[in-house]
Amino acid sequence: MFEIALLNLVLWLPVLGIGLLLILPANVAALVRRVTLGVMLAQLLAATWLYLQFDAGAAGLQFETRLAWIADWGVHYHVALDGYNILLVLLTAFLGPLVTASAFNAITKDVKLFYAMVLLIQFAMMGTFLAQDLFLFYVFWETMLIPMFLMIGIWGGENRIYATLKFFLYTAFGSILMLAALIYLVWAQYEGSGQLSFAFADLLQTRLPLTAQGWLLAAFALSFAIKVPMVPLHTWLPDAHVQAPTAGSVILAGVLLKMGTYGFMKLGFPLFPDATALFTPVLLALSVLSIVYGACLALVQDDIKKIIAYSSISHLGYVMLGLLSLQLTGIQGAVVQMVSHGLVAAGLFLMVGMIYERCHSRELAAYGGLAKLLPVYSVFFLILTLASVGLPTTSGFTGEFLALLGGFQYGWARHLAGDNLPLVLASVAVTGVVLGALYMLRFALGFLFGAAKAPHAGEHGLADLDGREKSILVLIVLAVFALGLFPAEPLRKTELAAKHYQQLVGTSRLPGGTP
Amino acid sequence: MNSQAVFTAMLPEHLLLLGLVLLVLLEILGRWPRAALNVALGCVALAALSAAVLSYQGFSGAPFPGHFSVDPAGLAVKAMVLALTLPVLLMSREDFASGEFATLVISSLYGVCLVQSSDSFLTLFLGLEILSIPVYTLVLLAYQRPACAEAALKYLVLGGTATASFLMGVSLLYGASGNMDVATFTRALGASDNMNRAAVVLVLLAFFLKAAIVPFHTWAPDAYEAASVPVTAFMSVVVKAAVLLAVVRIFGQAQLASPLLEIVAVLPLLSMAWGNLAAMRQPGLRRMLAYSSIAHAGYLFFALLGDPAGRLQTVAFYLLAYGLLNLLAFAALPPAEDDQSRDRLENLKGLFHRAPFAALMLAMAMLSLAGIPPLPGFVAKFMIFKNVMSAGYTVYAVLGLVASYLGIYFYLRVIQFMFMSPNPSAGTGEGTGTAAAPVMAKSRAYALTATLVCLFAALWISVFPASMMARF
Repeated sequence: MFEIALLNLVLWLPVLGIGLLLILPANVAALVRRVTLGVMLAQLLAATWLYLQFDAGAAGLQFETRLAWIADWGVHYHVALDGYNILLVLLTAFLGPLVTASAFNAITKDVKLFYAMVLLIQFAMMGTFLAQDLFLFYVFWETMLIPMFLMIGIWGGENRIYATLKFFLYTAFGSILMLAALIYLVWAQYEGSGQLSFAFADLLQTRLPLTAQGWLLAAFALSFAIKVPMVPLHTWLPDAHVQAPTAGSVILAGVLLKMGTYGFMKLGFPLFPDATALFTPVLLALSVLSIVYGACLALVQDDIKKIIAYSSISHLGYVMLGLLSLQLTGIQGAVVQMVSHGLVAAGLFLMVGMIYERCHSRELAAYGGLAKLLPVYSVFFLILTLASVGLPTTSGFTGEFLALLGGFQYGWARHLAGDNLPLVLASVAVTGVVLGALYMLRFALGFLFGAAKAPHAGEHGLADLDGREKSILVLIVLAVFALGLFPAEPLRKTELAAKHYQQLVGTSRLPGGTP
Repeated sequence: MNSQAVFTAMLPEHLLLLGLVLLVLLEILGRWPRAALNVALGCVALAALSAAVLSYQGFSGAPFPGHFSVDPAGLAVKAMVLALTLPVLLMSREDFASGEFATLVISSLYGVCLVQSSDSFLTLFLGLEILSIPVYTLVLLAYQRPACAEAALKYLVLGGTATASFLMGVSLLYGASGNMDVATFTRALGASDNMNRAAVVLVLLAFFLKAAIVPFHTWAPDAYEAASVPVTAFMSVVVKAAVLLAVVRIFGQAQLASPLLEIVAVLPLLSMAWGNLAAMRQPGLRRMLAYSSIAHAGYLFFALLGDPAGRLQTVAFYLLAYGLLNLLAFAALPPAEDDQSRDRLENLKGLFHRAPFAALMLAMAMLSLAGIPPLPGFVAKFMIFKNVMSAGYTVYAVLGLVASYLGIYFYLRVIQFMFMSPNPSAGTGEGTGTAAAPVMAKSRAYALTATLVCLFAALWISVFPASMMARF
């Protein structure tokens, strides 16, 4: 009972925070910041408690709340934790305070609105992960767009209007087709069972003919693939990342992109297993293309934010590879990779933000030898770079390795069945690891070593990290190592969900089969 | 039915009539010019309340059998439309000092009530005319602007065309059936002979004209732009609501079949697409919202494709969500030196820094009109497309959703102007504050009340949509 209340608290705390901000006067920026941080920390505390209480041995939903919302349509306010979302909920709650703290100095304009938006997006993201009802999921999914739109548009860089409109219109297009698909799906489910329901559990039993499954998967996949983003639907990401304020980039890279892969894992593939089986080669090819193409693009960027943005595309390709492999190792690897990328990319964006606050330039060529200028900064930067590359003992290694291993297991099994494509694709995906090392080390090399230079350094001298920045980074680095060294503990909590996913996607659900 | 029941069944109408008489008396006496608004507010509120109470008690009756009948769902809808007029009256204080605005609005409302309860074409026609004629005058009330007369004339001529077309259709229906019941239209929808078909098309044409469906929409942008803000609000919310409710009334339980189905699907689809596309290029807020309302009329007609049992509920809920948020936008629109500059979208630039509350309200209205969850516009749109999809018109539903996607951009543009553009002329707001401060402040207070009423109602239906749906 206590945990159920706590789960709802985790979801609604940000809304409470917005209410608090509303009654605060607009001119006390410091108080606004502190209140937001307090709310976020409380949320993290509650989420951690829930994580610890989460029973790894029990399948299905835990700490469930289910209340009728629009009873006539079978829509429920239905939130719960399960193996699918437990780690992502924790990740979201973990990044919340860090995002808040990171913007303390960077945001000086409309502080109150900014933190209200940070809280709103936190609420929407939490809701998307926790929702167990498709209608509720969609509501949260779309709600996310509004604060992000404002965040990039108000506090972004020089080209922010273009970037934010592109972001909104791109994602909204995917969502509108997903909306059509979800109405169709629910209706098909209703005709089959006579019970109107939006609950995931009910929808996962729908039997649909292959053509319908194909169209619906296409609509869902379009929406999710835009969010991931998968090549060739990735073009909004570099613009959004580059123009967004640091906090926006961190939220985007840390959590928002995982919405896409989470959507595939929780809904996209399990809802339409037969269509997924049919389209696996195409999806696999696109995932591998994302890995390699994203890495290649990252290799030639001059803008440091763009390097990380493209590396995100590459890293999330591994997640898709792992999910599509349908091997337990691959799926678990995908889950770890999601969290790991959330930590590492968020950390890197935070670090870029910190240097940008000091030097006001994102151009790689403008920097050099920061190891001499900012030694503490450089240590953290190097650690995160190596985590991004996938050095063993960091979380990046665990995720990428397991996902690739899953890809190979699948490829080998298909090879024995006479289909060589998956194996070839898995081999190509490995080159992504090499390319990843190449672009990140090029980045770190130019950034940290060589002749010392930094724009605007001469005027007021470069201050190394202060206590606030250090604490943010220490937390992230600790989490990166924790996940890299002891992956077994979180994986235990997601194992049953991974098996559940594997079984759902692996079982055909065409109409006429035995119920 | 005894006179007691006649009185009860028509209580909302009687209250409106009472208000009207009081207003005319006040006008004749010529004293207390400011009292008119309060009288109007009181009588509309009482009428809405009485309709709501009657609906809540499950009252139904036919004081004039075959011509006028009420049932709980119809009364709830009546209460809703009447209640939606309250913010319009509240925000009118800024533009209209004397009582004529309130008088005309209440006369028009009487027509709305008749339309909503009509069983025969006689009552329906009466209702539609009583509803429309005051609105032609309302447009003219902003006579300071030269465009106003032109727009009012355009509106009048096209309104007259609609009336003529409606009467021609009805007379054909009467010729075919010898009957003036609205149910003859419902039957004619299923008929396949030329006379009935011609009648149906003529009647539909009249309603397309009145609801501004493409390609019969050209009067709307002009009329909306030329009228003053409260009048535009009244036209885009209450008049539109009445027209759509009339359509739902005459469609009855009819299932649509080809080729009528195509007319009722394709023209609204065009409306959505064209309304949303044309809105992108408009320089003025009212003209933009006029095109937006053309698109919304398209969604509303789409509701007719759905299951007959759910039509009234769907249309009523949509009208509620759309009406509330539209009114919110109009009520929150900050005042300016003159009407022209108040309307210009350019002048909204940097509004968040001048008037954060107004900017937030406008932003909320825009996002809801665009159908972005969690705002009520989404649930309403979802309901329509759910019904279209469940009736088996998957392709139309998908096309409609894609057409609605086209609309997102221009709503976002307003938000972009308010939040992301620099303040163009810092310091314009100071000049107006000194001259007529007390009057300004009081009428601002009225407008603010309108804003808050809309805001809380909108929040209520976005959190508990089911509580309102169950009423219709």
